[in-house]
Amino acid sequence: MADKIMFRFWTITDYEEEEEFLRQQHREGWMFRKYWIPGFYFFDKCSPEDVVYRLDFDQAAKGEKAAYLQMYRDYGWEYLLDVNGFSYFRKSAKDLEENGDTEIFSDNESRLEMVKRIFRRRMLPLLAIFLCCVVPQLMIQSGLWLDGGYAASKVMTIIFLVLFAAYIGLFIHCGMGIRRLERKYKTDV
Amino acid sequence: MEDRIRRVYVPMTETGFYILYCLRDEMHGYNIGQKVKKMTGGEVNISPGTMYGTLSKMEKDGLIRFVREEEKRKLYHITELGWELLNIELRRIERLYKNTHSGTP
Repeated sequence: MADKIMFRFWTITDYEEEEEFLRQQHREGWMFRKYWIPGFYFFDKCSPEDVVYRLDFDQAAKGEKAAYLQMYRDYGWEYLLDVNGFSYFRKSAKDLEENGDTEIFSDNESRLEMVKRIFRRRMLPLLAIFLCCVVPQLMIQSGLWLDGGYAASKVMTIIFLVLFAAYIGLFIHCGMGIRRLERKYKTDV
Repeated sequence: MEDRIRRVYVPMTETGFYILYCLRDEMHGYNIGQKVKKMTGGEVNISPGTMYGTLSKMEKDGLIRFVREEEKRKLYHITELGWELLNIELRRIERLYKNTHSGTP
């Protein structure tokens, strides 16, 4: 078992905060080992060290994961695991000279590409579910309840109303997150 | 050459230019990064995520092609289309240099 378990819940656009969180833990002597959905972080005790953590999102082409990871290894990055399409890497920050840099992207163009990938692979499927399932079901069930007076439809209407609100909340949160990242990468040098 | 390719790659980023330039010889990503660093005295540094993304994009657009794999490392080489773009860029940069170093304002 791990020496420490922490719970943190991030959404898809919080990866920079997550990187900083893992780095801070390592500085305090907690080495990240594994992750359980929806937000359990398992740490092993270690000697405190400044280790940089970086997340890349779903970049490897199909059947090319080995070559992709080899490239990161060549650059001195240790690959940890994959969670929800994110690949986790870490590298010691101390001997930067021989280790190269602590970034996995060297320009904002590739950072923006990552935000676009997150949008395409995570937001678009959710939007599709929302528009093709949640919204029609909500209309059908509320119609059955109001016109037909079915008790079961009343329950279903409430369930889909809650889902509807949850999706809207999620879209607003992630939409704002994506905008924030885009703005940051477009103005940062 | 397709308009889209021209729009995307002319003018080219410094990163893109150096990667394409290096691939006149068969090379893999990390090697390219090391060579570019040396050529530019450490000024141009290409990180792995950017390197992987750029190589994938250039391969998809036909500027470079995958040659073979060596211990899980993919080696690439420039294609004819890649040469065409590289030459366009070289001419553009030469013109830029000439125009700004001729002494006339």
